[in-house]
Amino acid sequence: MGEPISWRTDLEIDPVVEAYKQHVDRSLIRENLRRSVEERFRRLIELQGFAEELRRAGRAASRR
Amino acid sequence: MTDFRGLLSALSDGGVEFILVGGVAATAHGSARLTLDVDVVYRRSPGSIERLVTALAPLHPYLRGVPPGLPFRWDARTLRSGLNFTLTTDLGDLDLLGEIVGGGRFEDLVPRTVGIRVFEMECRCLDLDTLIHVKRAAGRPKDLEAIAELEAIREERARLDEP
Repeated sequence: MGEPISWRTDLEIDPVVEAYKQHVDRSLIRENLRRSVEERFRRLIELQGFAEELRRAGRAASRR
Repeated sequence: MTDFRGLLSALSDGGVEFILVGGVAATAHGSARLTLDVDVVYRRSPGSIERLVTALAPLHPYLRGVPPGLPFRWDARTLRSGLNFTLTTDLGDLDLLGEIVGGGRFEDLVPRTVGIRVFEMECRCLDLDTLIHVKRAAGRPKDLEAIAELEAIREERARLDEP
C-alpha cells in the first residue's frame, strides 16, 4: 500500500448496498443491540452449532 | 466448529497485540450473520511476532486450503517473511492479517478501535465506521450484504442515541 490512508466514512451511496439494506432484518439487529457483546458472541456460537447440525443432517440425508 | 473463546484466549493470554476485524468484529457490533473464522490484524513488531508464534504453536497452525504435507514451518522467520496468513488450527480457522486494504497496519488501525470485553478478556475491535470503510475498500462482491447489515446497524444505533 504505502499511500496515506483515507478514513472517509461518508462514502457515496452504493445502490447495490442500498438494495440489500431493504432486506436486512432490523428486528434482529435491534434485538442484538440490546444484548451485551458477550451475549452476541454466545449467540454466534449457538448459531454455529446449529449450522453444523444442519450440515450433518444434510450429509446423512444424502447418504440415504 | 471454531472455538472462538479458545482462539481469543490463546492470543490474549499469549500477550499478542491484535485487533478483531471481519465477521467477529461485526458480531461484536451487533451483526446477526454467521461467521466461521476469526480475523485479526496483528502487530508486526519483533516482540509481538515472537509472542504470536509461541501462543499459537500448541494449536498446530497450518496454511488453509493447501495440500496436506506442503512444508510449512510455524516460526518467527515465516511470519516476518510473509504478511497475511489464512490458517487452520486445532481450534478452527484463523486469519492473521499484517495489513488490510483501506486500513493499513496494526499501528494505523489502533486509533480506530474500541475496547470490548468478551469471555473475561479485553480485546481491541475495529470500530463500526472503520469496519464499514475497510469492507467497502476491499471491494469484494461477497461483502455487499455484510456492508448493508453494518450500515443498518449504524442507522439503528443512531436511532437509539436520538433523544
